[in-house]
Amino acid sequence: MKRVQFEHSAVPYLFVAPQILIISIFFLWPAAQAVYQSFLLEDAFGMSSQFVWFRNFEDVLSSSSWTRSAIFTVVFSVLVSVLSIAISLFLAVRADEVVRGAKSYKTLLMWGYAIAPPVAGLLGNMLFNPLMGDLYMAFNSFGFEFNHIENANDAAFVVILIAVWKQVSVNFIFFLSGLQGIPKSVQEAATLDCKSPERRFWTITFPLLAPTTFFLLVINLTYAFFETFGIIDVSTKGSPGGSTATLVYKVYVDGFLGADLGGSSAQSVLLMIMVSVLTVFQFRFIERKVHY
Amino acid sequence: MATVTLNQAEKTYANGYKAIHGINLEIQHGEFTVLVGPSGCGKSTLLRMIAGLESISDGEISIDDKVVNKVAPADRDIAMVFQNYALYPHMSNYNNMAYGLRNHGHSKSEIDSKVREAARILQLEDHLERKPSQLSGGQRQRVAMGRAIVRQPKVFLFDEPLSNLDAKLRVDMRLEIKNLQQRLGITSVYVTHDQVEAMTLADRLIVMNGGVAEQIGSPIDIYEKPETLFVAGFIGSPAMNFLPGKVSDDRTHVVVGDKVKLDLDHDVEAGRNVTVGIRPEHFRLCGDDAGPVSASVRMVESLGAETLVYLDFGIGNENVTLRVQGTHQFAKGTVLKLSITPDMIHLFDTETGKRI
Ligand SMILES: Nc1ncnc2c1ncn2[C@@H]1O[C@H](COP(=O)(O)OP(=O)(O)OP(=O)(O)O)[C@@H](O)[C@H]1O
Ligand SMILES: [Mg+2]
Repeated sequence: MKRVQFEHSAVPYLFVAPQILIISIFFLWPAAQAVYQSFLLEDAFGMSSQFVWFRNFEDVLSSSSWTRSAIFTVVFSVLVSVLSIAISLFLAVRADEVVRGAKSYKTLLMWGYAIAPPVAGLLGNMLFNPLMGDLYMAFNSFGFEFNHIENANDAAFVVILIAVWKQVSVNFIFFLSGLQGIPKSVQEAATLDCKSPERRFWTITFPLLAPTTFFLLVINLTYAFFETFGIIDVSTKGSPGGSTATLVYKVYVDGFLGADLGGSSAQSVLLMIMVSVLTVFQFRFIERKVHY
Repeated sequence: MATVTLNQAEKTYANGYKAIHGINLEIQHGEFTVLVGPSGCGKSTLLRMIAGLESISDGEISIDDKVVNKVAPADRDIAMVFQNYALYPHMSNYNNMAYGLRNHGHSKSEIDSKVREAARILQLEDHLERKPSQLSGGQRQRVAMGRAIVRQPKVFLFDEPLSNLDAKLRVDMRLEIKNLQQRLGITSVYVTHDQVEAMTLADRLIVMNGGVAEQIGSPIDIYEKPETLFVAGFIGSPAMNFLPGKVSDDRTHVVVGDKVKLDLDHDVEAGRNVTVGIRPEHFRLCGDDAGPVSASVRMVESLGAETLVYLDFGIGNENVTLRVQGTHQFAKGTVLKLSITPDMIHLFDTETGKRI
């Protein structure tokens, strides 16, 4: 590969300096702090702290609440990503048949994109309010004994539903533009070669969308891991009994509400390691297969 | 081998635009039919109706006497080559060719032998494992051809398959297509707006204009006896000269402008106003003496093998084009003496545009 070589000068560094500054202040410095904190044990009043090596990590890894939260996070993230990708792909394929060319219609379909996670959580709260929530009423009137305040599965269902609903519009936009990027003549050639629309979808359309799907998988997993914080905080707050707390939410609960800075820092360090591994895995093994 | 029959086929698009106005056509076994016409005249629409990519609004299209109006494209046993190749970018060239066969339930070994045979004919053997993006334009066009021929369809459909190629490659591929079609004997419909492709490839030429077939016939017939002013002007390059004229009282000649008189042996009534059509290549240059027509030179274009001379015939600002073999240097204003034999003169009704 040929690379353009620039004269060495300070200018490029100047251009990236603001970004580096932002990363340093809001990411590197807190991350270093977290690593440092994770080796300390503070007393209950935060007056003194003591260097304890890996004891915080041992405590975290052996605690059943952390394991449960980790399992919930994995299940939650996979379900949210897969469901929101599948639903939005289905909607985008349907929409694509209608909107080829109709621009104004397309814009209308994208408005959901603008909703912030806490707002989504708030809307979910209203829909599932035991006193007046429409969905709460509807589920119960169908005879499900739906109670997300006490039942862990029902609570998980609520956060997943809100998280998926919020994310579908984002995925939809990407899929729709991905679909519209497939040349019409390629689709037509496939119509001549293959009679079954389902088979055509899985052999032509879906593989051609693979780069989009991969990109969305990364985005959605990140979203489910981190950005759903707002949704959980507004809707269930991790209840009942921490069953809907993702790892990120648990870091916040233990550190800021439970005042266990050492334990919470150890959790966030573990989280960082997990995310790094996931990222490397995604780019190494999946991305290679999806480009054409 | 198959026949294709169009019976009053019409197409009205969803927006109400009528792109095809009732076309009747019978394409014989193994015939190479070329659709030619100006942009927007409905060539692609007609081809796509045969392919099943556009619905047929009225009338019938049959392949081998079976009406296919309601038959899915994949079941019509046709193959199409698109202008922009339309290869599947995520598949190897091998799989591009094999895809249709797999969907039609051929066995693995059968598919393999067919694909390799097509690759051999099209000289693609070394490129089978690559993806289309790793090929040149000409090679991609060959893969697209390969995808069509492995199916051994009843009908080949081509929509301007060569227009994305450079001039030299276009000539090579043109010969290759003609060769291949003759060898395989598959009934073909080919859309182009390139005159040379149309004239050289066609067994039968269909000149379209505004959604109707203006004339159907062999290329030479159409060149020698264009039925309408439109066909006369469209086929032939440079285009035929059209001059307003009036038949003389004794019907032996037609008067063009104030001074030019051309001999006639047509059966046409005296005093009638007509449009006279003369192809640039049908004038003959006479020496200084003889020649019934004299006209002065306005401009000269030398193309090497031939020279185009634009002449003043005394009918306003209009040029009359003359095409002569070899190179000639004529100064502006030189008066040339020309002759033309009566059988090279085409007469058209000025009102209806029909040949007289
Ligand atoms: N989907 C459509 N809806 C409405 N009108 C259409 C549609 N497709 C084509 N047309 C119109 O039908 C007419 C014929 O189009 P067509 O594509 O068949 O032309 P063409 O002869 O192939 O032209 P070109 O040489 O430019 O390819 C055009 O006037 C075009 O604008
Ligand atoms: Mg066209």
